[in-house]
Amino acid sequence: MAQATETKYLTEFYHLPEFKGLDGYKKNGGYKELEKALKMQPQAIIDEVKASGLRGRGGAGFSTGMKWGFLPKNNEPRYLLCNADEGEPGTFKDRMMMEKAPHQLIEGMIISAFAINSKKSYIYVRGEYDDSINALNAAIQEAYKAGYLGKNILGSGFDHDMDVYRGAGAYICGEETGMISSLEGLKGQPKLKPPFPAVQGYLRKPTIVNNVETLAVVKYVIRDGAAHYRKFGTEKSAGTKLFSLSGNVVKPGNYEVPLAFPMKDMIYGLGGGFKAGRQLKAVIPGGSSAPVLTAEEANRATLDYENLAQMGSMLGSGAIIVIDDSNCMVQCLANLTHFYHHESCGQCTPCREGTGWLDKIVHSILSGKGRPQDIELLIKVADNMKGKTICALSDAAALPVLSFVTKFRDEFEYFVREGKSKVKGTAFAPKGGAHVGH
Amino acid sequence: MSDTKVKCTINGTELEVKPGTTIIQAMTENSQRIAHYCWHPGLSIAGVCRLCMVEIEGNPRVQIACNTVVTEGMKINNTSEKVKDAVKWGLDFHLINHPLDCPICDQAGECGLQDQYMEYGKYTPEMAEAKQKKHKVVDLGPTVVLDSERCILCSRCVRFTDEVSKTNELGIFNRGDHAEIGTHDGKKLDNKYSLNTVDICPVGALTSKDFRFKQRVWYLKDSDTVCNGCSTGCNVKVYFNKEGLFRVKPKTNQNVNGHWMCDEGRDIYKFVNREHRQLKGRKYGAGSWHEEAHAGTAAKDAAMFLKGAKADEIALVLTGQNTNEEYEALLNTFVNNYKTKNVYHWWPHEAQAEQFDGLLLRGDKNPNTAGLKQALAKFGINTKWADLESGLKSGKIKQLVVIAPENIFQYKDMDQKAALFGQAEHLILATSVKFPGIETASLKTATLIPLKSYIEKDGTFVNYKGDVQKFKKATTVVSEALTGVELAHLLAGQSLKIETVATPDLLTAESNTRKDQVTLDHRKKNEFVFNRGRL
Repeated sequence: MAQATETKYLTEFYHLPEFKGLDGYKKNGGYKELEKALKMQPQAIIDEVKASGLRGRGGAGFSTGMKWGFLPKNNEPRYLLCNADEGEPGTFKDRMMMEKAPHQLIEGMIISAFAINSKKSYIYVRGEYDDSINALNAAIQEAYKAGYLGKNILGSGFDHDMDVYRGAGAYICGEETGMISSLEGLKGQPKLKPPFPAVQGYLRKPTIVNNVETLAVVKYVIRDGAAHYRKFGTEKSAGTKLFSLSGNVVKPGNYEVPLAFPMKDMIYGLGGGFKAGRQLKAVIPGGSSAPVLTAEEANRATLDYENLAQMGSMLGSGAIIVIDDSNCMVQCLANLTHFYHHESCGQCTPCREGTGWLDKIVHSILSGKGRPQDIELLIKVADNMKGKTICALSDAAALPVLSFVTKFRDEFEYFVREGKSKVKGTAFAPKGGAHVGH
Repeated sequence: MSDTKVKCTINGTELEVKPGTTIIQAMTENSQRIAHYCWHPGLSIAGVCRLCMVEIEGNPRVQIACNTVVTEGMKINNTSEKVKDAVKWGLDFHLINHPLDCPICDQAGECGLQDQYMEYGKYTPEMAEAKQKKHKVVDLGPTVVLDSERCILCSRCVRFTDEVSKTNELGIFNRGDHAEIGTHDGKKLDNKYSLNTVDICPVGALTSKDFRFKQRVWYLKDSDTVCNGCSTGCNVKVYFNKEGLFRVKPKTNQNVNGHWMCDEGRDIYKFVNREHRQLKGRKYGAGSWHEEAHAGTAAKDAAMFLKGAKADEIALVLTGQNTNEEYEALLNTFVNNYKTKNVYHWWPHEAQAEQFDGLLLRGDKNPNTAGLKQALAKFGINTKWADLESGLKSGKIKQLVVIAPENIFQYKDMDQKAALFGQAEHLILATSVKFPGIETASLKTATLIPLKSYIEKDGTFVNYKGDVQKFKKATTVVSEALTGVELAHLLAGQSLKIETVATPDLLTAESNTRKDQVTLDHRKKNEFVFNRGRL
């Protein structure tokens, strides 16, 4: 196998423990770009980000510069929210970034806030991320002391305040309007769109929500310019990206590679392949919501937005879950349907009822009570949950079902027929189904 | 907003709507059918039932009509197979965990799920798994009971308590398919408008403690009328059959009550039913009540007494609970036939008349105080209540005619008044309800004449702000009773050949009894229901 190597662009200094603190961060180039950016015109920063081709790293892959451009052109107060509610199963890149380089995110955020003229930002951190929250709080205090936050930052006349908000463990709060509801003190439920957050978001003011990685990248776009950033990746998928590799590989972890990096190199090169005697069966390429790829598809896939979209899946948050041949796909799917059943906020009927229905059917198959028509029913139910709801959770629940059932239909049919898994040695461990706890 | 209109095509019909109109508004305002549960014209948009799907030309995905604003040239349809399929599945998602207990559900017959199922039902149930279990018979407060399993979580009731009553008792607790409506800790759904949540509940999840299990709705007729509970004059529907009246619901009138009514107003059917009514004419003399008489006979006898009295010995007491037409006829009889201007306004709510709770409830508990004042002014009458009291005490007033109020729940002083009126040498008491205290009051002589209630006659009320509202007879509970107009004619010694009184036709609460409603003949054939009686 070819020698695959990482491209450490964002993560260049992550191996240095000192990079976490302000001194170590500044020693390695920290806050230089903030000084540079504060002397630029805000519009020039937005234009640079737009030119860089940076796309949101949280999952949807929407152009960051374009998103910023949706803000109304007036002096209305506006908010910048950093989405650090990293809840997509399989994703753990933001956690590493916040723990190892909190100042990198803070600097990126201040630059972004300056560009969109926001005087207040929040970092909404997943509730379980104790270390991230502690690291961010410490770093924000350091930044205030050093004059990077607060009134008149570095004499530029720009004021900015930043706060960390701790989530309470709901997947749905990673959806940007769900996050806004939660931050407002309401139940974490997505809001009806339109109006979009850029027009009416947090406290009904224009709001931009960006992922941790996206905001951190802004610093590097300012440092090296859009043209340099575009040297990584492809025309439509510019830059590097952090991938969270997990599953049955020998060396799971976060890896930074340029976009359009071959999936094969990721699994067999960086990930070190499989344990002896095992081989690739399937890959979920972009977090649990992304449709699964078969081994054959995975071997020819490249890690960029357009190639994975072409394959009917998505890059998503960059969480690559590798499944080897020791796994039963019915059990894998049951894990996912259980998750979405548990996490549906319950607002929209198709999602509220559909996630539970899917979960119950899959668990009924898993417990040996599957009916032959259940396989078609899974497809029908999932099909009718797609594109019918306020947010994407319904789609996120439906897409894995559709891809698992269509691509690994033989395993489902076998389970229904024989009442047991086609994969030998897999234990029956039903979880979820009708008995989703509170 | 400018006056320019936006043109669009909905299901092939070209429409012009105001800018900012949503598709669902455009459709419902133009009598186009569209399935929906969570959208309500009086509440904010929730967009959660996902049923009001429409197809917009140029957009590959179906959209919800409630949160999509009509734009110029938009071509919309909700009749394509794509939309129907989306609605069909949307409805099926609503139904998979629904208990389908229609036979014992109060909402059956007027249920959103039943209605939509007839049109969009999948008819092939595919849900084989166990349904979600949720709380049943939840006591939300003094007026409403919740069945969470029937609930489709449309959030209308939550939004009502948030946006209209502003009492915020309700919320949705838990998430996903175990989410349930409930009251916040330590709170009860207890506000003056709580029963509106039952009206807007599209399914049988919220039921009224007053109405539940009393009647199947298909055995009820409805008729529009005007609430006589206070001077707001909310437009309402009364539901009745031969057993009597069973409930009152609001009827939308943006000029008066919007979509709502208060809980107090829901009681206005109760005093109309037979058990509260004065059914026959009666006479009192020589220390006891005796001989029941026909209403007309009683009125003619009363007229003899009036004819035998001098003008200043006659007095009339009126309340703000009668119609303009009745005031006109009665005042005509007394002022023109009997030449007396001793007409007194019985109004226990005068001190609180200006009270207003900010939504609908007003301190004046009469529907037509404004109408009475206008009529009194027209006939040049300006009297003080104290004059009546002194006149009765001194014996100057000998023949006292009292047109009693109907809403006995709002007249707390009837016992005292019975004692006061009893001082007259001869009391002519015309009343639709059994007058509290009249049985025990010490009287000299009296004639009791049964009157019709507001539900049994046509007429107009003038509300607090001067809106003249016409209503029509809904049903007859006490057939023998007289209207005020009939009484006026009989008291004047005239026959009951009544000329129709022209009524102004401003804000009308026109009757729109459903044509498809089952007639009561059908009901008689149903032995079980007929013998069941009242629960």
